Amino acid sequence: MAKGESPLKQFEIQPIVDINFLGFDISFTNSALWMTITTAFILIFFTAPFLKAKKTNSVSDLYPTRMQVAAELGFNFINSLLADTVGKEGKKYFSLVFTLFMFILFGNLFGMIPYSFTFTSHIIVTLALAMGVFIFVTILGFVKHGLKFFSFFVIPGLPVYMLPLLIPIEIISYLSRPISLSVRLFANMLAGHTLLKVFAGFVSALGFFGILPLVFIIALTGLEILIAFLQAYVFAILTCLYINDALHLH
Amino acid sequence: MPQLEQVEFFVSQLFWLGVFFVILFTVLTYTTLPKIRAFLSQRDDFVKSHISKQDELIKKAESIIANYEVKLNDAKSQASQIVNDAKNKAMQESESLIKSTEEKIQHEIKMMEERVAKEKDQAISDLNIQLKDSATSFISKVSKIEKENINL
Repeated sequence: MAKGESPLKQFEIQPIVDINFLGFDISFTNSALWMTITTAFILIFFTAPFLKAKKTNSVSDLYPTRMQVAAELGFNFINSLLADTVGKEGKKYFSLVFTLFMFILFGNLFGMIPYSFTFTSHIIVTLALAMGVFIFVTILGFVKHGLKFFSFFVIPGLPVYMLPLLIPIEIISYLSRPISLSVRLFANMLAGHTLLKVFAGFVSALGFFGILPLVFIIALTGLEILIAFLQAYVFAILTCLYINDALHLH
Repeated sequence: MPQLEQVEFFVSQLFWLGVFFVILFTVLTYTTLPKIRAFLSQRDDFVKSHISKQDELIKKAESIIANYEVKLNDAKSQASQIVNDAKNKAMQESESLIKSTEEKIQHEIKMMEERVAKEKDQAISDLNIQLKDSATSFISKVSKIEKENINL
């Protein structure tokens, strides 16, 4: 980091190819570049190990390759996540949760590479993902239950005189879901990367004693990788819970 | 903060996010995930069939063991039967042997006693004869001595 550069400069979007479509600026930026890399990586990561994999006809076919184990791990992780939160009906929404989780996870992880760009650190991206989930879940609720979906805002077993107070609270909490979902991911990424950059600034500023913040950065990088996983997991599990709410109401 | 300042790139970000998310979702949903699922379920079926085969084999082995135990018990009871028979037979034989031996011994004792009695009688009669003989010789000797004494 050059002197006097803001630790927030890493979040700046730089257009690579200027594209203008019907008056809209849809330039291919560094954000789009890392989305491309993430998408390509996920597709290769989960497709390639199974291209060579034969059908299991004998015991010797049971040994998977290393990459296959990694891909199966991801697959089974989302599978059990959905089974635990939604149950058997959750299988229909598997690819949605899988795509969301992997897209956010690898977006976060690729953001940990120096000089890369973390597209999940942009509120517009996370808000779009969260709004997508929110709209999908709401439509799902209406499709499954029709107008009965509104009973979701009425907590069962509550005295009637409490309803005027609690129904607005429930509605507000429901509407704030996409905001909390998106801000959680965005803020975690923003804070983590900013902190890393701030301490990286100390390394060059302190000269020899810069070794102390360097050690701290190394530890913090580990923590950030954990957070990258954790936030993708939180996003996925909340999506599962929202799907479960839409399917079963209360 | 560039996130809120670079508003001019919002449309671009949303556009590319939509493009890549849709590409990723579509490809995963229609090719990659079904492939993985089919592969895994085929493998599960294979493992399950192996497990059921194993169960069958275990049942088979158990029935063989049960069969073997029945046969073993039969053989054991037969063996003990044979041993008992042999014991009984041996006992009977030895008893009859003891009986006949005792009878023989009794018989021999009787014979011996008879012989002893006979020999006793013989001995007594012999003794009597000898005594008679020695008595006569003694008397004759005594009388001879008396004659000599008289002659002196």
